[in-house]
Amino acid sequence: MTGPGPAGSPASGPLPDRPLPAASALVREASWHRLHPLSPLVRAGRQMMSLLVVLIGIAVLNQHQDGNLVADLVVIVAALVGGFVSWLVTRWQIADGVLRIDTGLLRRESRRFPLSQVQAVDVVQTGLARLLGLAELQLRIAGGDSARGGRLACLKLADAEQLRKQLLALAAVPAGGLAPPATRPAYDAEAVLGPAGQPAARTLFRVRASRILVAILLTRSGATGLVVAVATWLTAQFTGSAGVVAPFLPVAFGVAARLFRQFNGEYGTTVALAQDGIRLRSGLVQTTAETIRPGRIQAVRLVEPLIWRPLGWCRLEVDVAGARQRSEDRTEGQRLRALIPVGTRAEADLLLAELLASPPLPSQRPPSRVRWKAPLSYHFLSWSGDGRYVVAARGRACRQTTWVPLEKVQSIRWVQGPLQRWLGLATVHLDVAGKRVGVKIEDRDSAEALEILRALPDLARAARSRAS
Amino acid sequence: MIDPGGPAGLGQEKSGPGEPEVSWLRPSPLLLRARRIEVAGVTVPAAIIGGLAGQVASAAVGIAIAAAMVIAGLLAERFLARRVASWEYAERNDDLMVRRGVLIRRLSVIPYGRMQFIDVTAGPLERALGLATLRMHTAAAASDARIPGLESGAAAALRDQLAALGEAQAAGL
Repeated sequence: MTGPGPAGSPASGPLPDRPLPAASALVREASWHRLHPLSPLVRAGRQMMSLLVVLIGIAVLNQHQDGNLVADLVVIVAALVGGFVSWLVTRWQIADGVLRIDTGLLRRESRRFPLSQVQAVDVVQTGLARLLGLAELQLRIAGGDSARGGRLACLKLADAEQLRKQLLALAAVPAGGLAPPATRPAYDAEAVLGPAGQPAARTLFRVRASRILVAILLTRSGATGLVVAVATWLTAQFTGSAGVVAPFLPVAFGVAARLFRQFNGEYGTTVALAQDGIRLRSGLVQTTAETIRPGRIQAVRLVEPLIWRPLGWCRLEVDVAGARQRSEDRTEGQRLRALIPVGTRAEADLLLAELLASPPLPSQRPPSRVRWKAPLSYHFLSWSGDGRYVVAARGRACRQTTWVPLEKVQSIRWVQGPLQRWLGLATVHLDVAGKRVGVKIEDRDSAEALEILRALPDLARAARSRAS
Repeated sequence: MIDPGGPAGLGQEKSGPGEPEVSWLRPSPLLLRARRIEVAGVTVPAAIIGGLAGQVASAAVGIAIAAAMVIAGLLAERFLARRVASWEYAERNDDLMVRRGVLIRRLSVIPYGRMQFIDVTAGPLERALGLATLRMHTAAAASDARIPGLESGAAAALRDQLAALGEAQAAGL
């Protein structure tokens, strides 16, 4: 990467001028821009589609009553005018390392997003947006779910890509007082820079479509879908009339939609390591391209469900501070982003080694009297830690191994319930920013838990000062 | 393996975790009074209403219900007294420690540099007694560090002190 003092002319601005191609003239400093004129259409997207289908249906049914058709047209026109006005009053600019979005006709709203606090940048394309060649740019900023990150919907795809690059380049410049992102060996510029000095993305993982299909059918929602499908089919067979299955249809449709969303979200997941962070692409109809800035990963989790284990499959997830937007429902918003939706242990280990420099494996077993307290989960309970990471494994049916870099630890909690006190055990929690994921060093001997509690704050502080 | 830093001296296991050299501070004794007033505020009306309602059946039932309410209130008072007594906090060089709990014991360690913001709140009863509750927030939703029953002057002073320490040691996400 070009350093903060390049050989460029000093007149080119206060920020390091990465040699951005001509296309980036679009995002010159401090000038105002509008979104793409078609963006209201895309934003209304799904609702608009269903509305149109309903309206066409009504229009076809009521062919002879022109009054209704006029009323429908009025609704559509009103929606379009509303969208046009919202487009007209929305504009954005980049100035002094801050993205500013002004919007609203009656209630003006001006939002500023300091780019140095960006955790990740996503480029999302819904099906309709892909048809129109548009894309939505989303910034993920740390801090609560209600304080949502910035969102530019929609831009031309090429512009969105260009802007993503520019935002990440600006974000990498430490603004005054803010800690720069931690640099880890895995992100060494030399390692990922191509021979010409151009950033080259190195592909680390690509998921297999067939495997996703099988894997989804082997999860709880997939199994539910299968049961519903089989039940519907059997009922139709036994009663001999298709009308009987009608009550099943809404349920079946809901399950199918959910399964498809999951499939769509995970289809074609590709993980690549680039200079500006980890690039994640996925999607069949709606595609998402995420860039997670280096050193912004709060936790890494390896999930091995019971049914997948005989196949040797697992799932690797990362937690980033800042909620993802446009999640279909709350549970999906809480789900972690899967780097590997389904893959073998070897693939997971490879990626783990890239994300965390020689991570420790959970090796320290709890005392055997934990069997009395947690007869099932005792099987996998273990933890380990060194000066950089802490890892803990738990869960019986769904084994979860979580790694947390010590410099990301926000607070440390020691908890002892009545049963634990009686058995002389205690649990130590390490909280990180993000979606309530943290390491839980569960059911250790009291003395050991106290030792951990004594040592961790100092280790975490050392890790923090190393990182900054 | 994490090696225990410093000299081994993990005493006080009976009274909960912590290091002997740390000086623990407690909330104001007025907190217990606030809790007692709260308990009384629930128990007395409950006993009166329950007693009167029981009177419909017979006098004995009414008295029994009222007595049961009072006993429940007294038990709650004992429990709350222990809980209030268990609440302690300590300011160390780089972090704040808060420990609490009777049945489930908790000890939180919050580095000053990780504090995002600090709340000082006071309900009507707390205000009447001149108390306030201090709460520290980090970027993690799960961290909990709350110190109830600080005298309002002390709470404001502690808030300013923590904010200054937090600013001095602030670390990025």
